[in-house]
Amino acid sequence: MAKKTFKGRVVLPGEVTGKATVSRQAFNTSGSYMDNMFAGRTDAAPCTDSSNKELYGKDISGAILCTPTTVGSTMGGMCLMGMKSIGVGPQALLFSKPIDTLAAAGVLMADIWKDQRIVTIDMLGDEFLETIQMGDPISIHEDGTVEVG
Amino acid sequence: MKRREFVKIIPAVALVSTGACGKLEDSAAVSAPATGSQSLSDNPKGFSVADPTSHGDPGAYDVVHCDQFGVDSEGNPISDSLTGTGSDAGLKKHDPDKPHKMTLTQEEQDILSGSKGETMAKVLKTIVMHGELFGAERLADCGGAPHSSLYTGSPWVEPVLEMFEEIADAGLKAYTPYTVNPMPLDLYTVGQDPEKRNMMLAGYPLQGRLIQVHTRLGARSLDNWSCACYLPEVGNTAEPGTVVPWAESSAVNYGNSVLGLRINRMATGMEVLCAIAGKVPIFGVLTDEGRKAKWHIEVKLSKEPHWGALGGAVGTKVVEQIPYISGIDQWIPMEDGKPDLVAMGKLKAFGSSTASSGAVGLYHMEKVTPEAQEQGRKLLADDHQTYVIDDAELARVMGTFENLWKDKDGDPTSVYIGCPHNTYDEILYWSKKIDKAIKKSGQEKVAIPVVMACPIVVRNKLLDQHPILLRDVLRAGVQFTTICTPAYQGLKGMADIDRGVTNSNKARFYSRLRLFGDDDLLQIAMTGKLPA
Repeated sequence: MAKKTFKGRVVLPGEVTGKATVSRQAFNTSGSYMDNMFAGRTDAAPCTDSSNKELYGKDISGAILCTPTTVGSTMGGMCLMGMKSIGVGPQALLFSKPIDTLAAAGVLMADIWKDQRIVTIDMLGDEFLETIQMGDPISIHEDGTVEVG
Repeated sequence: MKRREFVKIIPAVALVSTGACGKLEDSAAVSAPATGSQSLSDNPKGFSVADPTSHGDPGAYDVVHCDQFGVDSEGNPISDSLTGTGSDAGLKKHDPDKPHKMTLTQEEQDILSGSKGETMAKVLKTIVMHGELFGAERLADCGGAPHSSLYTGSPWVEPVLEMFEEIADAGLKAYTPYTVNPMPLDLYTVGQDPEKRNMMLAGYPLQGRLIQVHTRLGARSLDNWSCACYLPEVGNTAEPGTVVPWAESSAVNYGNSVLGLRINRMATGMEVLCAIAGKVPIFGVLTDEGRKAKWHIEVKLSKEPHWGALGGAVGTKVVEQIPYISGIDQWIPMEDGKPDLVAMGKLKAFGSSTASSGAVGLYHMEKVTPEAQEQGRKLLADDHQTYVIDDAELARVMGTFENLWKDKDGDPTSVYIGCPHNTYDEILYWSKKIDKAIKKSGQEKVAIPVVMACPIVVRNKLLDQHPILLRDVLRAGVQFTTICTPAYQGLKGMADIDRGVTNSNKARFYSRLRLFGDDDLLQIAMTGKLPA
């Protein structure tokens, strides 16, 4: 596929290269990591949100997660911080919409207090999610540029 | 010492064990119901809101602790612009060459530069960066007292505990003593069963550490730990318009709506950072514009509803948008222009359900809540939508509730009253109701345990005001506990041994408990059987 470039707002900058994990519906953070939060699993992160047809059952450990925004419990931010700490959190969060307060709190607390960065770009636009497919090669740059393909 | 003075200073358990007795003074007629009068006997199997995350194999966990899901029963997004603030107000666009920055006072800039130490600089940096992402122009000084929703000592919360411990190690404390959500374990009442006690200890191994760090940061005594921090006996409340750092969806909902406070729904952890700094960024429902209602809920019911079920209908529809509700004030008793103590229970049940079935952080109720009394329908946004709830619509919503018991045809094993925590009027109402039924039936005890959740200070008021009634209901098998019912019900393995019923739509939403009206619950408690 032809390479396509998107530009978003930098929440937490960084350079990340990998394959896209896509949730076209808003990602329910705490609902997706239940095995890790409550069953003590640390070797993988099978998505436990059965309403998420794209991700349910897939290992989302270390994902470059592309989604509109996150939803779910007010524990969602703390969940991101906790999952990053036990090694199954996302490498990067790429939001087509503005970031929500829960994800923002989670990535900021992890970064500032635990020195564990989840590279985060938001406001990438609807076309970003219309374009990207599961497994697409993706490159994230410090200035908020995201290359797909 | 007079007997009255004696019973005031001895614990309730001592009243039971010593057989203290006196004139039965509390068997008066049961007063107005706490959670609404509508019988749910049309659906004797109980019901549970269609929960998209519960359709599959629950796997290693038993419940989903989510304040909202953002998807409908088919898995389709209801909204993809949720901010979790209880309002969708926030920054919608940005200039990449000129990122939004808030204006800070000289003192705040100095703190960021380390004038109060490295740790306080990190606290404020987190708050400022967070606020700037949502277009906050400045920070507000907090008033009242904070309330924290970090209350479960599960292993995965350790990074947040470490953050709190770093703050405590630096000698920092909240700007004033604060309240915390109720404990997820109680080793004395519901914990008398060794199997359940071990589940609690296994499920929350970091509980002691959590209590310790909250204590170091300035939390009030555990007698006051409650999700309903605004209860008069706990007293975490403030004048309308006060900005407070609270997390706990039901408390935020009640504080914004009924008390007129200004509180964004905060991610757990952020509320304590704001409590340490004494500052909160201004955006979302802290602004006048962010408190406009995007939905007009026209209630056209023929009788008083089950307040939790009504809240479930509203929350499911509006998700996190702010609703303005009309046509319901005739069932809300007022005193001196404010909802009275009976109304507190109804609004608590309604609001907590909007906040769990949806993510509502603020609602306005015509002629009831302070801003609705002042501004009326001027609170409706120009582009608001309308949702009519009549008898048929409420019945439709209640019909979507499911029976999630593992043994769907089994008999109930426990009755859970109070989620959020009961008010004093609610425990008095239920105690009288149960006491009357016990004496009428000739039974010594209820057939299955009745678990009554409230903070210690509320239970103590019953001991003070109605000691004989408390003695009698304790003897009859009512267990007064401080526990958080959903956290207790969510323990791994609990659903295998407990088939619970409840009066709380919030508790039902977060667990496998089944919802019933008050009269049905009493019958279940007395017989151990579902209504025919």
